[in-house]
Amino acid sequence: MLIVKNLHAGYGSSEVLIGASLEVKTGTLVALIGPNGAGKTTTMRTISGIVKPTKGQVLLDNKPIHGMDASNIARLGLAHVPEGRRVFGPLSVEDNLLLGGYRRLPRFFGFHKKAGPDLDRVYELFPRLRERRRQAAGTLSGGEQQMLAIGRALMAEPKVILMDEPSMGLAPVIAEEVFATITRLKKTGIPLLLVEQMTRKALEVSDYVYVMEHGRVVIHGTPDELRKDDCVIAAYLG
Amino acid sequence: MTTSIVPQLIVSGAMMGLIYALVAYGFQLTYATSRSINFGQGELVMVSAFFSLTLTKLGLPYWLMIPGGLLFGVVLGLFVERAAVRLALEQKSEGWVLLTIIMGLFFFSAAENIWGRDDQPFPTPITSDALHVLGISITPLEISVAVGVFTIMGLIELFKRTTLLGKAFEAVSVDRDAAELMGISTTHTVMLSYGLSGLSAAVAGILVSPITTVGPTMASVLVLKAFSVAVVAGLDSGFGVVLVGLFLGSLESLTSYYVGSGWREAPGLVLLILALAVRPTGVFGKAVIRKV
Repeated sequence: MLIVKNLHAGYGSSEVLIGASLEVKTGTLVALIGPNGAGKTTTMRTISGIVKPTKGQVLLDNKPIHGMDASNIARLGLAHVPEGRRVFGPLSVEDNLLLGGYRRLPRFFGFHKKAGPDLDRVYELFPRLRERRRQAAGTLSGGEQQMLAIGRALMAEPKVILMDEPSMGLAPVIAEEVFATITRLKKTGIPLLLVEQMTRKALEVSDYVYVMEHGRVVIHGTPDELRKDDCVIAAYLG
Repeated sequence: MTTSIVPQLIVSGAMMGLIYALVAYGFQLTYATSRSINFGQGELVMVSAFFSLTLTKLGLPYWLMIPGGLLFGVVLGLFVERAAVRLALEQKSEGWVLLTIIMGLFFFSAAENIWGRDDQPFPTPITSDALHVLGISITPLEISVAVGVFTIMGLIELFKRTTLLGKAFEAVSVDRDAAELMGISTTHTVMLSYGLSGLSAAVAGILVSPITTVGPTMASVLVLKAFSVAVVAGLDSGFGVVLVGLFLGSLESLTSYYVGSGWREAPGLVLLILALAVRPTGVFGKAVIRKV
């Protein structure tokens, strides 16, 4: 379970987050929506420790993680699928997946064997990755790279996954596939926080929704509640 | 015998070129993880060599001295990272340039005070009685340089490709933030790269000293040539430094024979200036395309 309380953060002297709060309960998919520049990506980057918060709290399973280095937070079981996928281009698909399991695998030898069952599970979910496992990740298509980025996060057996704009830059058919994957992940019960520009899609798959504007959460509720909210309809669903 | 003078010069120069390549490889290791290099790398070579010489003088046999010398190189590398590089990197400043130069000067003065200013011979059990192969004479000592350089570079590359820690090293050099998100500590990876860089400096010192002797001034000469090699090949060129190192070493030896020994240092500098003017990413380097 992930709890974010009154989070403040920014880059240099410009404050981007001014008191963002949200909660991702066990077994739920929570969507974070809002206009460009509202601070959705910064919220994710601050939760995962790439940006250090100036104020506020982040609790992972009731343990405070704010202010820790991103690598330490990741080792506690928070997986972040970053905006723009950020796969390791020159490394092979399989090496990317193995690095996803870095927090649980031996550093020198035997890591391949130990990761075997998890690799198989990811390959079952994304058969195309198995076909291309020896290929450099940078040569994959955008959709395949997104699958790889998600698979890499799953390799960590995370307690919670943050997913930033998984449909960005993808053809509609491929984006559809990504959402199908997200729905499947949701069924496994792993808590998910999803930032998404495609608002309708986000409302369709999520259990709870936060709407951000100007660095804070302005409205939140279940997708059904938000679909009835006039402001939300005007701004995002009109 | 005059017919074989050119190949002879090339082979002798190439051995020295491999040393430049190894020092340049040390630059590459730290550049990969932190986009920083140790401008005092030459001093690391020199101090490790002096330390190894001291171990020998204390009565340690050559083959037992080697692990000691190498360990000392690793410690020096880690010390440079902690004392001169980490703070600058944390503040996203380029201060490491000046700080590593200062660290080099510090090592230089320390060496002069501890071991003296004179060049000293470095004993080795490997013979320098020449073997004659195809009209070229080459000594087992020179062969040991080639074997040593390729062994250490091969081992480090093997580590990077076959262990998970090595793959993490590669991941950090591709994308630091994404690597952090996997649980890979960039701080530890940068330390690792400086440790390995120090190790390669110590190997270079132990290999080259029996041929050139050990002295405080060996550092500045080496670092300049290695820097030329690294820039000409490209700081992300991998084994490209070996080819450029071999080329520069041979060119130097030909220049000093045909033009005059005073011109020995010229080719390195000319190559460096040419590379910076014509192809700053290096002959084997990848141009960085920044997507906005």
